[in-house]
Amino acid sequence: MTGGPKIGWKGRSSLTAWILGTLTVIFLAYQWLPILTLGLLSFSGPTGGTTFPMNGTSFHWYQELWRASVMNDFKPPLMRSVLLALACSATTVVLSVAAAQAMRGQFRGSGWFFYLMLLGIMAPGILVGFGFAILMRLIGVELSWDTTTFLVQVSWTLPFGFLTMLAVFNRFDKRVEEAALTLGASRLKTFRRITLPLVLPGVIGAGLFGFSLSYDEYARSMFTTGPDATLPLAVMAQLDRQLTPEIYAVGTTTTIFSLIAVMLCTVAFWAMRRSTALRKS
Amino acid sequence: MSTIRVRSPASYWLAVPAAVWMLGVVVVPIVLLVWVSFWGGRTFSPASPLTFDNYARFFANQTYIKLAGTTVLHTMTLMAVTGVLGYCIAYFLVMKVKSPAWRLALFLAFIIPFWTSTLIRAIAWVPFLGVNGVINQLLMSIGATRSPIEAFLYSHTGITMAQVSLYTMMAAGPVVYMLSSIAPQLREAAMTLKATPFTVFRRITFPLTLPGVVIGQVLVFLNVMSDFATVATIGGNKHALLSNLVLLFYESSQIRAASVVAVLLMICMLVGVVIALRVVDVRRLGAER
Repeated sequence: MTGGPKIGWKGRSSLTAWILGTLTVIFLAYQWLPILTLGLLSFSGPTGGTTFPMNGTSFHWYQELWRASVMNDFKPPLMRSVLLALACSATTVVLSVAAAQAMRGQFRGSGWFFYLMLLGIMAPGILVGFGFAILMRLIGVELSWDTTTFLVQVSWTLPFGFLTMLAVFNRFDKRVEEAALTLGASRLKTFRRITLPLVLPGVIGAGLFGFSLSYDEYARSMFTTGPDATLPLAVMAQLDRQLTPEIYAVGTTTTIFSLIAVMLCTVAFWAMRRSTALRKS
Repeated sequence: MSTIRVRSPASYWLAVPAAVWMLGVVVVPIVLLVWVSFWGGRTFSPASPLTFDNYARFFANQTYIKLAGTTVLHTMTLMAVTGVLGYCIAYFLVMKVKSPAWRLALFLAFIIPFWTSTLIRAIAWVPFLGVNGVINQLLMSIGATRSPIEAFLYSHTGITMAQVSLYTMMAAGPVVYMLSSIAPQLREAAMTLKATPFTVFRRITFPLTLPGVVIGQVLVFLNVMSDFATVATIGGNKHALLSNLVLLFYESSQIRAASVVAVLLMICMLVGVVIALRVVDVRRLGAER
């Protein structure tokens, strides 16, 4: 033991807690302040610049956003992004439920299949997007947000939905299925009437994953979208042209959009936990 | 007994759509990238002769080699910062926060920004970093500097600052998971045997969370290596990393040069992942659970 004042383990442990706690709070501020500032600055006055002072508060930049010219109109890209995200979400749900159900069947090559899906998460968007753009060029397919971008984005959202469904299927009580099968229900009927309703919150989670990941995706879209941009591409293009609080207004709007998605997700998971708790009691 | 028979044709056919999708959109394009990077000749077609010329041209240029070095250095810096910071935060959340309500609130506070667009979060750093930005205004108001520091926006410091806020939770997440799966009895047993808290951490807690640390580091590594958007947003045109070079070549229609850089990026990433897998066997990790 070295000299100095003797502090007990408990004292030292609470000292560690204080240091780590302070660090955590500082980091939380570090993570949240830019987002909150972005929100605050989007309400700056008509003469406000891209940083403080705000020169008054107004909805000016949101109004600008609403009656934008053709050059920097964010409404069509927003529409495209939402439609694309909905399509990706639906595709992700169908394919990931099918794929996770397939994994339960332990088919030959399921190990490889699992790694193939993991590859979709590990492979960076810049490589996938670029490679796919070259492939389309060689085949001679026109790039467009509703065809090529859709194909690429599903390859990004699908593995997340797949892992979600895999986790859900691992946890769910197989005896309920067995009971239905023993009572003479066909496999298809059991899946439709018993399995699917039980894993539904997980399915919703997979769908939200699909929506949110597609909605925010930039790297993959950037190579495969063609002339009609999605929202992240439009934002980035506007940032290249001119930085105005209008971008902050777009950012705030889409962030609120994403937060609504998270809230829906939390409600779905909460409902799932409640339903399992009810079943256990 | 379940709704699907083991090793049935049905289970096989259910996996086919997803497998075909992933093969066609992820595997084929990446293989194609490797192939294209060897194309010689003047026309862009599969009939081109295969050469090493594209690579030779890349390695002949000192600027590009320097850029690759900068990229690796930048990524290592971020891994170190997010690793230490992420571990501290994870340790605090799991070990030190006792009230479940507080823990949930803190978890949400950390996770919610993670669900919003990375691009927007990178842009949110712009008003902070500029010459008249929030950080400079703050520094000048407390009298730390008299004139604004120009070292934030359009600089490596600025890029690093933004990326730390974007990726620390990626490093922390797996550690949180591993920490919360450690049985408290293990630490109590060590304490009973008179190990000091630091020894307990060094000999028990840290080794048990090592897989989480490595997975977190891999995630940060892969993301920072390929994150050209943040670099472009905050670095402007002044700073580029290897991934920006891919974009730069692509936009100037130098497809073969772009694929050379893409392949080198891929090799870096593969090496990184292989090193990580040597430290931790991820497959065994899955089997234990």
